[in-house]
Amino acid sequence: MSFSHAIRPRLPAGMPRPASLAALRDRIRQIELPLRHGVLPFGVPAIDDALPGGGLARGAVHEILGAGGDEEDGAAAAGFAAAILARIGSSPMPTSSSHRCAMGPSLSPLKGGEGKPGRLVIPLSALGGGEGRGEVGDSRALGTGPVLWCLKRPDLYGPGLMAHGLDPARLVLVSASRDDAILWAMEEGLRTPGLAAVVGEIGRLSMVAGRRLQLAAERSGVTAFVLRRWRNGEEAAAERERPSAALTRWRVTSLPSRDELRLRNDPKLQHLVGRPRWRVELLRCRGGVPAQWVVEVADATGHVCLSAELADRPAAAPKQKMGRREADRFDAEPGQRRAG
Amino acid sequence: MIATGGRRLLAAINPAAAAAGLAPGMPLADALSFLPGLVTAPADPAADSAALTRLAEWCGRYSPWTAPDLQTGGDDNGVKIEITGSSHLWGGETALAADLARRLALQGIAHRIAIAGTLGAAWALARYAAADAQPALPAPQDERAALAPLPVEALRLDPLTVQGLRRVGLRQVGEIYPMPRDALARRFGDSVASRLDQAFGDLPEPLSPLGETPSRRVRLSFAEPIADPADLARAIARLVEDLTTRLAREGVGARRLDLGFHRIDGRVEHIRIGTARPSRDPRHLAGLFTAKLDTVDPGLGIEDMILAVFAVEKLPPEQAEFVAGSPEAAAHDIAPLLDRLGAHLGLDAISRIEPRQSHIPERASICVPVEEKQSSKLSVIPGRRVAANPGMTSGEFAGNGRKPLRPVRLFRPPEPVEASWLVPDNPPIQFTWRRRLHRVARADGPERIAEEWWTEEGFGEADAIRDYYRVEDSEGRRFWLFRAGLAHSDPPPRWFVHGLFA
Repeated sequence: MSFSHAIRPRLPAGMPRPASLAALRDRIRQIELPLRHGVLPFGVPAIDDALPGGGLARGAVHEILGAGGDEEDGAAAAGFAAAILARIGSSPMPTSSSHRCAMGPSLSPLKGGEGKPGRLVIPLSALGGGEGRGEVGDSRALGTGPVLWCLKRPDLYGPGLMAHGLDPARLVLVSASRDDAILWAMEEGLRTPGLAAVVGEIGRLSMVAGRRLQLAAERSGVTAFVLRRWRNGEEAAAERERPSAALTRWRVTSLPSRDELRLRNDPKLQHLVGRPRWRVELLRCRGGVPAQWVVEVADATGHVCLSAELADRPAAAPKQKMGRREADRFDAEPGQRRAG
Repeated sequence: MIATGGRRLLAAINPAAAAAGLAPGMPLADALSFLPGLVTAPADPAADSAALTRLAEWCGRYSPWTAPDLQTGGDDNGVKIEITGSSHLWGGETALAADLARRLALQGIAHRIAIAGTLGAAWALARYAAADAQPALPAPQDERAALAPLPVEALRLDPLTVQGLRRVGLRQVGEIYPMPRDALARRFGDSVASRLDQAFGDLPEPLSPLGETPSRRVRLSFAEPIADPADLARAIARLVEDLTTRLAREGVGARRLDLGFHRIDGRVEHIRIGTARPSRDPRHLAGLFTAKLDTVDPGLGIEDMILAVFAVEKLPPEQAEFVAGSPEAAAHDIAPLLDRLGAHLGLDAISRIEPRQSHIPERASICVPVEEKQSSKLSVIPGRRVAANPGMTSGEFAGNGRKPLRPVRLFRPPEPVEASWLVPDNPPIQFTWRRRLHRVARADGPERIAEEWWTEEGFGEADAIRDYYRVEDSEGRRFWLFRAGLAHSDPPPRWFVHGLFA
């Protein structure tokens, strides 16, 4: 075009050329695209700050790994996933629909018409109309949408999930014997906008398979969690460092529990299990930086909070920014420390 | 063709043998004296009846009501087809009979066809009046006359009664007509009169069809047999379209469907599907069938497809009324997904977790198929549901856990471990699980869980009492261990890992 022809020579030397501008736009879109379905904040500023958009992107694939012996069983990974699922509803966007979810009788499709046992659903109107209903509905009201959980070994235990905030009545379990069947079921699930999320326990995840999941998730806005479970050390060694198409990769490690004050003082109680903790590592995050935190295990509302004690922090300290934040939190009142 | 029963008897014969004077039931030795070159084969009644059932199934193309008619005398076997209301689809009874005859001949099946107003009359006519290429199709008003010249055997009487009738000179059905009923009953029992009444429709005789009778049926016939998967998929789409329009008119949705592929060689292939909730979405249903199309072997071609619905449920025309995002809408949205998953992986692969009234860990939460809906809820005592799930209310767990904690993963069955511990009821000091040694750093417990003595099924003798410990090893992994049996019991107590905490 003659017009652009005329203008190009007059561009100042420091200005990016149109071609690189387009590339830049592409890059921005690459970062923003996964966020168009909104995010699910952890409610812990330290963690949310490390994630682009301030939370876990919905409509994307997130990978959760175990550590050590737990790579095989994925107990901590399941607990972490349960905690996230507890706060994820069926509506991908924090709009008035999440309001309705919390308002209505808390139904789960497979349970039929009755409310959940022992669950008190507080109408959001009771919390005050102006209080950013979207945000409240998102972070405080527990999710209600069904969750498809695809697994090979049927060892998921309902009461244990409940302890991390996930109502097992929301789960639809799909058991399959092979990874490809699980991937297929996950992909089918990701095409169903009525689901809150899809979880799959998978050993091998190829780049292509991960990409397919990611595309399906982006299209429907359903969030996917891939719990990696490796049969043995060999599979773990082969798969652990493999890149994948997931938006984030987490590793959750069970840490020795923190002695509570009463335990520390009483010699008789010293050998009791204290407050269980996890080390949560964000190993990879598109558009974010790797980081790690020590948190207390998710409670029955699905919320985690940073562990108050820093003694067990690994020598390889995370980013300075994280260290400062943790220090900030440490100074805060214990009552305020609990997020959510 | 031989049946063995101490002596060797002829079970069935072919026309050539019949022409030579042989008859079923004749001892083989006699038969061989008539026909020294007789070729025989052992009789296989099971295979015969299976073949007959298959034939009856194939006849499903004419009507949903078909049944094999197995008689003890091999030659009397037949297939019953109730064509009331379906003969017009073929252009009348004559055309139907002609089509049936042509297709049977193509398959090389010798046949005699009769159509009559009652099962009894049709039975008699097929066996005693119809010839090989001549179906017996008397007009309704002529049936009485048509039956009259037939032998009394045509009334489906037992051989003894037939003998008795013959002894008093009653050889033809027509000769019984004028006989006083009470005299007949006195002499031969009720059977003669009742068989006669059945033949004339004075006594109802329902046909019990082969399998379940569908409530709705759609049929598609092809001028040329088709075998190409793409053609079959198109045919499925059309059948489903026809069916769903009908279902929509009636305000119901299908729960259980069967698609029969009638091959030209007389075999019938089936695709059966079930849906998680009633559906009449043509795209969804067609998708379920098409996904399973590769299980169908079209053979040399398929000439008929019959889509039958066995179970329907009310489905009001409401789709659009669901508010997006509401739980009802979510349930509605995932039903097709469950159907797809079920069709691919099997319906038993899909389950949900349901709490149960039990403090035995493996029974407190069980997986139930998605299929059986709220039925299993009945086992939970109403009003005690919170108590039914120890530690499962969110409020309890938020605090410091007054209720005992439960693991995220539970092994079924529990995995045995080698543990060293201090008697009588200390937690283990260390244990070996999956060939790895774990040193116990901290432990909570014991929580004693005993057998539910009031139920039938307990743990079994050795495991009657379990002491559970929540144990943390030196790395920080948390286990749910239990010791089965008491400290000084015999056999000595054993340790198990039952689950893992997050």
